[in-house]
Amino acid sequence: MSKEAKEKIDMDPKYIIKLTVTLLITCVVVAGILGYVNSITAGPIADANAEKTNTALAAVFPDAAAPEFPEVEISDDMAAAATGYSATLENVYEVQDGGSTVGHAVKIIAAGSQGNIEMVVGVDADGVITGVSIVSNSETSGIGSKVMANTALPSGTGVLDQFIGKATSDQPLKVGSNVDAISGATVSSKGVTKGVNGALAAVEAIG
Amino acid sequence: MNFGKQFKEGLITNNPVLVQLLGMCSTMAITTSFFNGLGMGVAVLVILTLSNIIIAAIRKIVPDKIRIAMFIVVIAGFVTVVDLILKAFVPALSESLGVFIPLIVVNCIILGRAEAFAYKNGVLASAVDGICQGIGYTIVLLIMCIIRELLGSGTFGGGLLNGGAGLRLIPEQFGIKILTLPVGGFIVLGVLIAAMQWALARPKKKEESK
Repeated sequence: MSKEAKEKIDMDPKYIIKLTVTLLITCVVVAGILGYVNSITAGPIADANAEKTNTALAAVFPDAAAPEFPEVEISDDMAAAATGYSATLENVYEVQDGGSTVGHAVKIIAAGSQGNIEMVVGVDADGVITGVSIVSNSETSGIGSKVMANTALPSGTGVLDQFIGKATSDQPLKVGSNVDAISGATVSSKGVTKGVNGALAAVEAIG
Repeated sequence: MNFGKQFKEGLITNNPVLVQLLGMCSTMAITTSFFNGLGMGVAVLVILTLSNIIIAAIRKIVPDKIRIAMFIVVIAGFVTVVDLILKAFVPALSESLGVFIPLIVVNCIILGRAEAFAYKNGVLASAVDGICQGIGYTIVLLIMCIIRELLGSGTFGGGLLNGGAGLRLIPEQFGIKILTLPVGGFIVLGVLIAAMQWALARPKKKEESK
Protein backbone atom coordinates (compact mmCIF):
# COMPACT_ATOMS: atom_id res chain seq x y z
CA MET A 1 0.00 0.00 0.00
CA SER A 2 1.42 3.38 -0.95
CA LYS A 3 1.78 5.96 1.77
CA GLU A 4 -0.85 8.20 0.20
CA ALA A 5 -3.42 5.43 0.04
CA LYS A 6 -2.76 4.51 3.66
CA GLU A 7 -3.31 8.08 4.81
CA LYS A 8 -6.61 8.15 2.98
CA ILE A 9 -7.78 5.10 4.90
CA ASP A 10 -6.67 6.71 8.17
CA MET A 11 -8.77 9.78 7.44
CA ASP A 12 -11.78 7.67 6.51
CA PRO A 13 -14.66 8.62 8.86
CA LYS A 14 -15.64 4.97 9.12
CA TYR A 15 -12.18 4.08 10.42
CA ILE A 16 -12.28 6.91 12.96
CA ILE A 17 -15.71 5.81 14.14
CA LYS A 18 -14.46 2.24 14.44
CA LEU A 19 -11.58 3.41 16.67
CA THR A 20 -13.90 5.47 18.84
CA VAL A 21 -16.52 2.77 19.21
CA THR A 22 -13.93 0.08 20.05
CA LEU A 23 -12.44 2.25 22.80
CA LEU A 24 -15.86 3.24 24.07
CA ILE A 25 -17.07 -0.36 24.32
CA THR A 26 -13.87 -1.43 26.10
CA CYS A 27 -14.17 1.41 28.62
CA VAL A 28 -17.85 0.65 29.27
CA VAL A 29 -17.13 -3.05 29.85
CA VAL A 30 -14.22 -2.28 32.18
CA ALA A 31 -16.26 0.34 34.05
CA GLY A 32 -19.08 -2.18 34.49
CA ILE A 33 -16.70 -4.78 35.95
CA LEU A 34 -15.17 -2.18 38.29
CA GLY A 35 -18.61 -1.10 39.46
CA TYR A 36 -19.44 -4.69 40.32
CA VAL A 37 -16.17 -5.26 42.21
CA ASN A 38 -16.63 -1.97 44.06
CA SER A 39 -20.11 -3.01 45.17
CA ILE A 40 -18.60 -6.14 46.75
CA THR A 41 -15.58 -4.50 48.38
CA ALA A 42 -17.07 -1.16 49.49
CA GLY A 43 -18.46 -2.63 52.72
CA PRO A 44 -15.29 -4.38 53.95
CA ILE A 45 -13.17 -1.32 53.02
CA ALA A 46 -15.41 1.01 55.03
CA ASP A 47 -15.31 -1.43 57.96
CA ALA A 48 -11.51 -1.65 57.83
CA ASN A 49 -11.15 2.15 57.75
CA ALA A 50 -13.61 2.67 60.59
CA GLU A 51 -11.85 0.03 62.67
CA LYS A 52 -8.47 1.64 62.04
CA THR A 53 -9.75 5.06 63.11
CA ASN A 54 -11.48 3.61 66.17
CA THR A 55 -8.31 1.76 67.22
CA ALA A 56 -6.31 4.97 66.94
CA LEU A 57 -8.96 6.93 68.81
CA ALA A 58 -9.25 4.35 71.60
CA ALA A 59 -5.45 4.29 71.93
CA VAL A 60 -5.31 7.94 73.01
CA PHE A 61 -7.97 7.40 75.69
CA PRO A 62 -6.66 4.26 77.42
CA ASP A 63 -8.72 4.90 80.58
CA ALA A 64 -12.10 4.97 78.87
CA ALA A 65 -13.90 1.64 79.30
CA ALA A 66 -16.34 1.74 76.38
CA PRO A 67 -15.59 4.93 74.47
CA GLU A 68 -17.76 6.22 71.66
CA PHE A 69 -16.61 8.83 69.18
CA PRO A 70 -19.30 11.06 67.68
CA GLU A 71 -17.74 13.49 65.22
CA VAL A 72 -17.69 17.23 65.95
CA GLU A 73 -18.08 19.74 63.15
CA ILE A 74 -14.91 21.75 62.61
CA SER A 75 -15.49 25.47 62.98
CA ASP A 76 -13.35 28.16 61.33
CA ASP A 77 -11.91 29.08 64.73
CA MET A 78 -10.73 25.52 65.35
CA ALA A 79 -9.19 25.23 61.88
CA ALA A 80 -7.44 28.59 62.32
CA ALA A 81 -6.12 27.57 65.76
CA ALA A 82 -4.53 24.46 64.25
CA THR A 83 -3.15 26.37 61.27
CA GLY A 84 -1.48 28.75 63.73
CA TYR A 85 0.85 25.86 64.63
CA SER A 86 1.36 24.79 60.96
CA ALA A 87 -0.93 21.79 61.32
CA THR A 88 -4.03 20.84 59.36
CA LEU A 89 -7.10 19.74 61.25
CA GLU A 90 -8.75 16.69 59.70
CA ASN A 91 -11.41 15.39 62.09
CA VAL A 92 -12.42 16.19 65.65
CA TYR A 93 -14.26 13.61 67.73
CA GLU A 94 -15.96 14.05 71.04
CA VAL A 95 -15.06 11.17 73.34
CA GLN A 96 -17.96 9.82 75.36
CA ASP A 97 -17.55 7.13 77.97
CA GLY A 98 -20.67 5.77 79.64
CA GLY A 99 -22.78 8.65 78.39
CA SER A 100 -20.60 11.51 79.66
CA THR A 101 -18.08 13.52 77.66
CA VAL A 102 -14.52 12.84 78.83
CA GLY A 103 -12.63 14.84 76.23
CA HIS A 104 -11.83 15.19 72.56
CA ALA A 105 -9.77 13.22 70.09
CA VAL A 106 -8.27 15.24 67.27
CA LYS A 107 -7.07 13.78 63.98
CA ILE A 108 -4.48 16.21 62.68
CA ILE A 109 -1.83 16.35 59.97
CA ALA A 110 1.56 18.01 60.26
CA ALA A 111 4.62 17.97 58.01
CA GLY A 112 7.44 15.60 59.01
CA SER A 113 10.78 15.23 57.28
CA GLN A 114 9.59 13.02 54.39
CA GLY A 115 5.92 13.86 54.11
CA ASN A 116 2.83 14.34 56.17
CA ILE A 117 2.43 12.73 59.57
CA GLU A 118 -1.18 11.91 60.37
CA MET A 119 -1.81 11.52 64.09
CA VAL A 120 -4.56 11.36 66.66
CA VAL A 121 -4.18 13.41 69.83
CA GLY A 122 -6.38 12.85 72.84
CA VAL A 123 -7.17 15.85 75.03
CA ASP A 124 -9.30 15.47 78.17
CA ALA A 125 -11.95 17.88 79.43
CA ASP A 126 -9.32 19.90 81.37
CA GLY A 127 -7.19 20.45 78.25
CA VAL A 128 -4.59 17.86 79.29
CA ILE A 129 -3.16 15.45 76.72
CA THR A 130 -4.11 11.82 77.30
CA GLY A 131 -2.20 10.27 74.45
CA VAL A 132 -0.69 10.64 70.98
CA SER A 133 -0.94 7.94 68.34
CA ILE A 134 0.37 7.95 64.77
CA VAL A 135 -2.08 6.90 62.06
CA SER A 136 0.15 7.15 58.98
CA ASN A 137 3.56 8.56 58.10
CA SER A 138 6.36 8.24 55.59
CA GLU A 139 9.32 9.08 57.83
CA THR A 140 12.73 7.60 57.05
CA SER A 141 12.92 3.99 58.13
CA GLY A 142 15.30 3.58 61.07
CA ILE A 143 15.56 7.33 61.80
CA GLY A 144 12.27 9.24 61.76
CA SER A 145 10.42 5.95 62.19
CA LYS A 146 11.84 5.80 65.74
CA VAL A 147 9.65 8.77 66.63
CA MET A 148 6.64 7.11 64.99
CA ALA A 149 7.29 3.88 66.92
CA ASN A 150 7.34 5.76 70.26
CA THR A 151 10.99 4.82 70.96
CA ALA A 152 12.14 5.58 74.51
CA LEU A 153 14.03 8.81 75.12
CA PRO A 154 17.18 8.78 77.32
CA SER A 155 14.86 9.64 80.23
CA GLY A 156 13.03 6.32 79.68
CA THR A 157 9.74 7.84 78.50
CA GLY A 158 8.54 7.09 74.98
CA VAL A 159 8.93 10.02 72.61
CA LEU A 160 5.16 10.11 72.00
CA ASP A 161 4.33 9.37 75.65
CA GLN A 162 6.23 12.49 76.81
CA PHE A 163 3.29 14.60 75.62
CA ILE A 164 0.91 12.88 78.07
CA GLY A 165 0.08 15.27 80.90
CA LYS A 166 1.12 18.36 78.94
CA ALA A 167 -1.67 20.94 78.87
CA THR A 168 -2.79 24.07 77.10
CA SER A 169 -0.96 26.10 79.77
CA ASP A 170 2.36 24.54 78.68
CA GLN A 171 1.98 25.92 75.14
CA PRO A 172 3.77 26.50 72.95
CA LEU A 173 5.35 23.05 73.16
CA LYS A 174 8.75 23.28 71.55
CA VAL A 175 11.48 20.78 70.80
CA GLY A 176 14.53 21.77 72.85
CA SER A 177 12.67 23.54 75.61
CA ASN A 178 9.81 21.41 76.92
CA VAL A 179 9.84 18.57 74.37
CA ASP A 180 12.73 16.16 73.84
CA ALA A 181 13.58 14.96 70.32
CA ILE A 182 15.04 11.60 69.33
CA SER A 183 18.62 12.33 68.34
CA GLY A 184 18.96 12.40 64.55
CA ALA A 185 15.21 12.69 64.10
CA THR A 186 14.67 16.29 65.11
CA VAL A 187 12.50 17.13 62.12
CA SER A 188 10.17 14.17 62.72
CA SER A 189 9.97 15.06 66.43
CA LYS A 190 9.15 18.65 65.50
CA GLY A 191 6.45 17.42 63.12
CA VAL A 192 4.70 15.53 65.91
CA THR A 193 5.05 18.54 68.21
CA LYS A 194 3.36 20.77 65.61
CA GLY A 195 0.43 18.37 65.45
CA VAL A 196 0.12 18.19 69.25
CA ASN A 197 0.24 22.00 69.53
CA GLY A 198 -2.39 22.30 66.82
CA ALA A 199 -4.64 19.74 68.52
CA LEU A 200 -4.43 21.50 71.91
CA ALA A 201 -5.23 24.84 70.30
CA ALA A 202 -8.12 23.38 68.31
CA VAL A 203 -9.69 21.77 71.39
CA GLU A 204 -9.34 25.05 73.26
CA ALA A 205 -11.12 26.79 70.41
CA ILE A 206 -14.12 24.49 70.84
CA GLY A 207 -14.68 26.32 74.12
CA MET B 1 5.25 -23.38 21.79
CA ASN B 2 8.16 -24.08 24.06
CA PHE B 3 7.05 -23.57 27.66
CA GLY B 4 10.39 -24.64 29.10
CA LYS B 5 12.12 -21.94 27.09
CA GLN B 6 9.56 -19.33 28.18
CA PHE B 7 10.08 -20.30 31.81
CA LYS B 8 13.86 -20.01 31.51
CA GLU B 9 13.49 -16.64 29.78
CA GLY B 10 11.22 -15.22 32.46
CA LEU B 11 13.36 -16.50 35.28
CA ILE B 12 16.87 -15.94 33.97
CA THR B 13 17.83 -14.98 30.44
CA ASN B 14 15.08 -12.39 29.97
CA ASN B 15 14.24 -11.65 33.60
CA PRO B 16 12.04 -8.54 33.74
CA VAL B 17 14.03 -6.84 36.49
CA LEU B 18 17.58 -8.09 36.07
CA VAL B 19 17.77 -8.13 32.26
CA GLN B 20 14.96 -5.95 30.89
CA LEU B 21 15.41 -3.52 33.81
CA LEU B 22 11.68 -2.85 33.95
CA GLY B 23 9.63 -1.98 37.03
CA MET B 24 12.56 -0.34 38.83
CA CYS B 25 10.46 2.09 40.85
CA SER B 26 8.45 -0.51 42.72
CA THR B 27 11.51 -2.73 43.05
CA MET B 28 13.44 0.00 44.89
CA ALA B 29 10.56 1.19 46.98
CA ILE B 30 8.95 -1.88 48.45
CA THR B 31 11.73 -4.47 48.86
CA THR B 32 12.34 -3.69 52.51
CA SER B 33 10.43 -6.57 54.06
CA PHE B 34 9.63 -10.11 52.99
CA PHE B 35 5.85 -9.65 53.25
CA ASN B 36 5.93 -6.55 51.00
CA GLY B 37 8.00 -8.30 48.36
CA LEU B 38 5.75 -11.35 48.33
CA GLY B 39 2.56 -9.24 48.18
CA MET B 40 3.83 -6.99 45.42
CA GLY B 41 5.21 -9.93 43.46
CA VAL B 42 1.96 -11.86 43.61
CA ALA B 43 -0.09 -8.75 42.75
CA VAL B 44 2.03 -8.11 39.65
CA LEU B 45 1.97 -11.82 38.74
CA VAL B 46 -1.85 -11.92 38.84
CA ILE B 47 -2.35 -8.64 36.98
CA LEU B 48 0.30 -9.46 34.38
CA THR B 49 -1.19 -12.89 33.67
CA LEU B 50 -4.79 -11.65 33.45
CA SER B 51 -3.96 -8.65 31.29
CA ASN B 52 -1.78 -10.82 29.02
CA ILE B 53 -4.69 -13.26 28.57
CA ILE B 54 -7.22 -10.53 27.77
CA ILE B 55 -4.89 -8.65 25.45
CA ALA B 56 -3.99 -11.83 23.57
CA ALA B 57 -7.70 -12.64 23.27
CA ILE B 58 -8.66 -9.25 21.85
CA ARG B 59 -5.49 -8.66 19.82
CA LYS B 60 -7.15 -9.42 16.49
CA ILE B 61 -10.04 -6.97 16.95
CA VAL B 62 -7.96 -4.12 18.42
CA PRO B 63 -7.14 -1.52 15.76
CA ASP B 64 -3.40 -0.96 15.64
CA LYS B 65 -3.66 2.81 16.17
CA ILE B 66 -5.31 2.64 19.57
CA ARG B 67 -3.72 -0.52 20.92
CA ILE B 68 -1.73 1.27 23.67
CA ALA B 69 -4.87 3.01 24.92
CA MET B 70 -6.70 -0.33 24.95
CA PHE B 71 -3.82 -2.00 26.84
CA ILE B 72 -3.87 0.72 29.48
CA VAL B 73 -7.65 0.45 29.96
CA VAL B 74 -7.41 -3.33 30.41
CA ILE B 75 -4.41 -3.07 32.76
CA ALA B 76 -5.92 -0.22 34.78
CA GLY B 77 -9.11 -2.24 35.15
CA PHE B 78 -7.29 -5.24 36.63
CA VAL B 79 -5.10 -3.08 38.86
CA THR B 80 -8.13 -1.35 40.32
CA VAL B 81 -9.81 -4.70 40.96
CA VAL B 82 -6.72 -6.02 42.78
CA ASP B 83 -6.35 -2.73 44.69
CA LEU B 84 -9.96 -2.84 45.90
CA ILE B 85 -9.70 -6.51 46.88
CA LEU B 86 -6.47 -5.93 48.82
CA LYS B 87 -7.97 -2.91 50.61
CA ALA B 88 -11.05 -4.90 51.55
CA PHE B 89 -9.53 -8.21 52.60
CA VAL B 90 -5.80 -7.64 53.31
CA PRO B 91 -5.71 -4.06 54.66
CA ALA B 92 -2.31 -4.53 56.32
CA LEU B 93 -0.64 -5.38 53.02
CA SER B 94 -2.53 -2.65 51.18
CA GLU B 95 -1.22 -0.14 53.71
CA SER B 96 2.41 -1.16 53.53
CA LEU B 97 2.43 -1.26 49.71
CA GLY B 98 0.57 2.04 49.65
CA VAL B 99 0.62 3.90 46.38
CA PHE B 100 2.63 1.21 44.60
CA ILE B 101 -0.42 -0.97 43.96
CA PRO B 102 -2.27 1.71 41.91
CA LEU B 103 1.07 2.49 40.28
CA ILE B 104 1.19 -1.04 38.81
CA VAL B 105 -0.91 0.56 36.03
CA VAL B 106 2.19 2.30 34.78
CA ASN B 107 4.56 -0.51 35.74
CA CYS B 108 6.45 -1.00 32.50
CA ILE B 109 6.70 -4.77 32.95
CA ILE B 110 3.00 -5.16 32.26
CA LEU B 111 2.72 -2.75 29.35
CA GLY B 112 6.05 -4.06 28.07
CA ARG B 113 4.85 -7.67 28.01
CA ALA B 114 1.51 -6.64 26.49
CA GLU B 115 3.26 -4.89 23.61
CA ALA B 116 6.20 -7.27 23.19
CA PHE B 117 4.46 -10.60 23.71
CA ALA B 118 0.70 -10.75 24.26
CA TYR B 119 -0.10 -8.60 21.19
CA LYS B 120 1.77 -11.05 18.97
CA ASN B 121 1.01 -14.44 20.53
CA GLY B 122 -1.91 -16.68 21.42
CA VAL B 123 -3.87 -16.75 24.68
CA LEU B 124 -2.20 -19.82 26.18
CA ALA B 125 1.33 -18.71 25.36
CA SER B 126 0.56 -15.24 26.72
CA ALA B 127 -0.80 -16.69 29.96
CA VAL B 128 2.37 -18.76 30.37
CA ASP B 129 4.46 -15.68 29.57
CA GLY B 130 2.61 -13.69 32.25
CA ILE B 131 3.13 -16.40 34.85
CA CYS B 132 6.83 -16.86 33.99
CA GLN B 133 7.64 -13.16 33.88
CA GLY B 134 5.64 -12.66 37.08
CA ILE B 135 7.55 -15.42 38.84
CA GLY B 136 10.82 -13.92 37.60
CA TYR B 137 9.80 -10.53 39.02
CA THR B 138 8.65 -12.03 42.33
CA ILE B 139 11.83 -14.04 42.82
CA VAL B 140 14.06 -10.99 42.25
CA LEU B 141 11.90 -8.98 44.69
CA LEU B 142 12.17 -11.72 47.30
CA ILE B 143 15.95 -11.99 46.93
CA MET B 144 16.24 -8.20 47.31
CA CYS B 145 13.87 -8.21 50.29
CA ILE B 146 15.83 -10.93 52.06
CA ILE B 147 19.19 -9.21 51.50
CA ARG B 148 17.98 -5.70 52.40
CA GLU B 149 15.99 -6.83 55.38
CA LEU B 150 18.69 -9.09 56.80
CA LEU B 151 21.61 -6.70 56.37
CA GLY B 152 19.63 -3.48 56.83
CA SER B 153 17.36 -4.31 59.74
CA GLY B 154 18.82 -7.64 60.87
CA THR B 155 15.54 -9.53 60.58
CA PHE B 156 14.06 -12.21 58.35
CA GLY B 157 10.44 -12.56 57.23
CA GLY B 158 9.29 -9.10 58.38
CA GLY B 159 5.54 -8.55 58.30
CA LEU B 160 4.88 -12.29 58.20
CA LEU B 161 6.83 -14.22 60.86
CA ASN B 162 6.97 -13.58 64.60
CA GLY B 163 3.81 -11.49 64.68
CA GLY B 164 5.00 -9.09 61.99
CA ALA B 165 8.30 -8.10 63.61
CA GLY B 166 10.28 -10.80 61.80
CA LEU B 167 12.89 -13.16 63.22
CA ARG B 168 15.86 -11.21 64.54
CA LEU B 169 19.09 -12.76 63.27
CA ILE B 170 21.43 -9.79 63.70
CA PRO B 171 21.23 -7.35 66.66
CA GLU B 172 19.56 -4.11 65.65
CA GLN B 173 22.55 -1.84 66.19
CA PHE B 174 24.59 -3.74 63.57
CA GLY B 175 22.06 -3.17 60.78
CA ILE B 176 23.34 -1.29 57.72
CA LYS B 177 20.64 1.40 57.71
CA ILE B 178 21.45 2.65 54.22
CA LEU B 179 20.31 -0.66 52.73
CA THR B 180 16.75 0.01 53.86
CA LEU B 181 16.74 3.32 51.94
CA PRO B 182 16.25 3.56 48.14
CA VAL B 183 20.01 4.08 47.74
CA GLY B 184 20.56 0.65 49.24
CA GLY B 185 18.00 -0.75 46.79
CA PHE B 186 20.07 0.44 43.85
CA ILE B 187 23.27 -0.97 45.36
CA VAL B 188 21.69 -4.38 46.02
CA LEU B 189 20.13 -4.47 42.54
CA GLY B 190 23.47 -3.54 40.93
CA VAL B 191 25.23 -6.33 42.79
CA LEU B 192 22.49 -8.80 41.82
CA ILE B 193 22.71 -7.86 38.13
CA ALA B 194 26.50 -8.17 38.22
CA ALA B 195 26.30 -11.57 39.93
CA MET B 196 23.79 -12.85 37.39
CA GLN B 197 25.78 -11.58 34.39
CA TRP B 198 28.83 -13.30 35.80
CA ALA B 199 26.92 -16.55 36.26
CA LEU B 200 25.47 -16.34 32.73
CA ALA B 201 28.86 -15.57 31.16
CA ARG B 202 30.64 -18.50 32.80
CA PRO B 203 29.41 -21.35 30.58
CA LYS B 204 30.19 -19.28 27.47
CA LYS B 205 33.77 -18.70 28.57
CA LYS B 206 34.24 -22.42 29.11
CA GLU B 207 33.11 -23.09 25.55
CA GLU B 208 35.38 -20.40 24.17
CA SER B 209 38.43 -21.75 25.98
CA LYS B 210 37.90 -25.26 24.57
